[in-house]
Amino acid sequence: MKTKILALFGTLAIMAAGCSKSHNPDPDTTSATLEAQVLTDFPANLANPNYLDIETKAGIMKDAAGIFISSSTDANLKAVQDAWKNTRAAWESCEGYLFGPVEDFNYDPTMDDWPVNKVDLDALLASSNQLSVSDIEDLGTTLKGFHAIEYVIFGVGGTKKAAQVTEREKTYLASLTESLYNTTRELRASWDPSVSGNFTHQVTTAGNGSARFATRQDFFKALVGAMADICNEVADEKMQTPLAAQDSTLDESSFSHNSVTDFTNNIKGVLNAYNSSYNGTSGHSLSELVKAKNISLDAKIQSQITAAISSFSLLNGITYEKAIYDNKDKINQIQTAIRTLKETLEGDLDAFVETNIKD
Amino acid sequence: MKQLKVIVVLVLAVLVLAKCRKSEVFPVEHYDDRLSGGDETVFTATSTSFGNMFPGLTGYDIHVHELGDAVFSQTFVTAPAPIHSGLGTLFNNTSCTNCHHNDGIGLPTAGELQSSLLVRISLPGEDEHGGPVPVPGYGLQVQDKAVFGKTPECKINISYSYRTYSFPDGETYELRTPDYSLTNLYAPISGNYLLSPRLAPPMFGLGLLEAVPESEIAALQDLNDADGDGIRGKANYVWDAVTNRKMLGRFGWKANTATILSQVASAFNQDMGITTSVLPVENSFGQPQYDGLKDDAELPDSLLNAVKFYAQTLAVPARRNTTDPTIKRGLQLFTLAKCINCHKQTLTTGVDVSKPWLSNQVIHPYTDMLLHNMGPGLADNRPDYLAGGQDWRTAALWGVGLFETVNNPGYYLHDGRARTLTEAIMWHGGEASQSVAYYSNLSKSDRDAILKFLRSL
Repeated sequence: MKTKILALFGTLAIMAAGCSKSHNPDPDTTSATLEAQVLTDFPANLANPNYLDIETKAGIMKDAAGIFISSSTDANLKAVQDAWKNTRAAWESCEGYLFGPVEDFNYDPTMDDWPVNKVDLDALLASSNQLSVSDIEDLGTTLKGFHAIEYVIFGVGGTKKAAQVTEREKTYLASLTESLYNTTRELRASWDPSVSGNFTHQVTTAGNGSARFATRQDFFKALVGAMADICNEVADEKMQTPLAAQDSTLDESSFSHNSVTDFTNNIKGVLNAYNSSYNGTSGHSLSELVKAKNISLDAKIQSQITAAISSFSLLNGITYEKAIYDNKDKINQIQTAIRTLKETLEGDLDAFVETNIKD
Repeated sequence: MKQLKVIVVLVLAVLVLAKCRKSEVFPVEHYDDRLSGGDETVFTATSTSFGNMFPGLTGYDIHVHELGDAVFSQTFVTAPAPIHSGLGTLFNNTSCTNCHHNDGIGLPTAGELQSSLLVRISLPGEDEHGGPVPVPGYGLQVQDKAVFGKTPECKINISYSYRTYSFPDGETYELRTPDYSLTNLYAPISGNYLLSPRLAPPMFGLGLLEAVPESEIAALQDLNDADGDGIRGKANYVWDAVTNRKMLGRFGWKANTATILSQVASAFNQDMGITTSVLPVENSFGQPQYDGLKDDAELPDSLLNAVKFYAQTLAVPARRNTTDPTIKRGLQLFTLAKCINCHKQTLTTGVDVSKPWLSNQVIHPYTDMLLHNMGPGLADNRPDYLAGGQDWRTAALWGVGLFETVNNPGYYLHDGRARTLTEAIMWHGGEASQSVAYYSNLSKSDRDAILKFLRSL
């Protein structure tokens, strides 16, 4: 009798289990749906608005340069400097996911090569060579882009006044800012879904006909790789090179003393990439994919990104050019926070993508 | 007592049987054929697949590799500068990565930011070491760019003529024949000069190829075609500026460079105009473009060695889908076509206890590291040590299936004239003529199987 009751309960249990299973969505289907949503939202909520923002701000900088050239006051120079910093912020945050046209078509080196070729730049300014936009576009990458503009408007040490900007520098500045603006337009168009051959299409069709990403895993691995790469670049190249050499002239963006802001925006770009977010708008994201299967890994990554970003407050507004001499311990703490994040991205997150994104 | 005898007899029998089985090397065919770079193989098939560090590196070696990686990607500027100083005055490009984009094969263009084609130049004849003769005022390589205020040596012009061909079964393919010329010469060149275009090659696996013993490569030679297969193969022996002696040539499209260090130092010097302790004389020395600065060597040894180490320790991407029946058939056909007689599947690196990551590795580079006559179609007609005008070193095929992924689109052969693997195959001639004929006469599905096999590399 007891055996019969047990058998009955056993049967019921199995049936119940069978019933409940049939009501649950297939986890693979759920996951695949979410992956597809991320592929849509990454370009829609991050890449496209970010690149549009860079273009808009580069346009404002170009216009500000025009106003300064026609009316060379200190206030108008400061407006150009501020516009440079705003454009720079949008650009640095997109470095959190440097893949696609920005690399394929050299938009990155064209806009942001460093160091400035100061010897050649000074010689060019001292010459009588033409400085039209087309002349600028023919120049090497170390004679144009963000840092050539920075050199002209801030000067070495960042103390430049309107009266110190020569007529020749003004001509150069007008063409430099227009050339940079042209490049940002091309970059924006390269992802624009309404433009033929756009890269957004390569992302949204990953694993489903995309020439660039044969599998969805390829896209997510490229994304994770780019996030880790910028961590490495910030902690062990941009920060480490001037620190190790104890030479502030080796610091990128030293003319404007904008380096700490650059670094911070780079890591904010990692957060944006992880959350498919830009300027407060976010969508389905890699974070969501991780959270669905490994909530503690997602929490770990979120907290490490936040820790890396907030670690820059240790410098308390001190310029990086000064901090490399006076605040080595604090710089080391920041580097450690970024390296820790990088290791998690390259290790845990990359492994997560390999294990969980199979299509 | 009887039990003891039985035990003794059994023990003896076991010993005798054990003796019968001679110890032997673990057979090559039992190795996992996905492991193209032996232990230093990485399982990745993305656009960054050629840029991975050897998995076997540890400790300080990782730091040196990463330092080399940073220098490799850094743009150099005109001297004097606080950082990355010494570009030019004459150069072809401003950073290593501008030519070796994603550590892969370059773009067959000249004069643009990521142009990766350079042109060697020389006069007919041989120098005192048996190498090419420099052109006065130009040296052995033309630099088509210069820092501000200096005149580039020339402009490199590339044009193509196109022609369509058919396989016997009617499928068509197009080959483009390049034409190279120099214009805007800064100074006249008297007499005839010889040109040879060279495309930047992929960077990975070089350390493993350097570690293959010279004896192993030399033993693959068949100078007089003793085995009668129509394929010869000869090693190049070249002058090495580091050791000041003749050495086996391993690198470059004509195997005209002996070591990675020489290759790296030569690229800094000739391609970027940056002097090192190995090659401390500016490429513009003796020319009006010379900077006259007393700043040589411009690149410190620590950074030179870091870049050398970086190039030595880039891992090889693994093969994909090796159990796919079509790919297996492709390999069989590749073998039957005798492609594999030059594109040797397997080499073994020498034992080097100081570099365990390079030591005693069974690798699958698909090259014999030897020079072969490739016929007049591919000829540059410019001798380079023992390499004649029609000779080229067998290109390593590992990773060739990822060229399109890493360097979209991919290009093939010494000057990137081939835009597809089919074109690359059909450009082969000379010792490879029989292989090309075999390939041409296959059915389309069999040709496709060979291509699919190549794409698995």
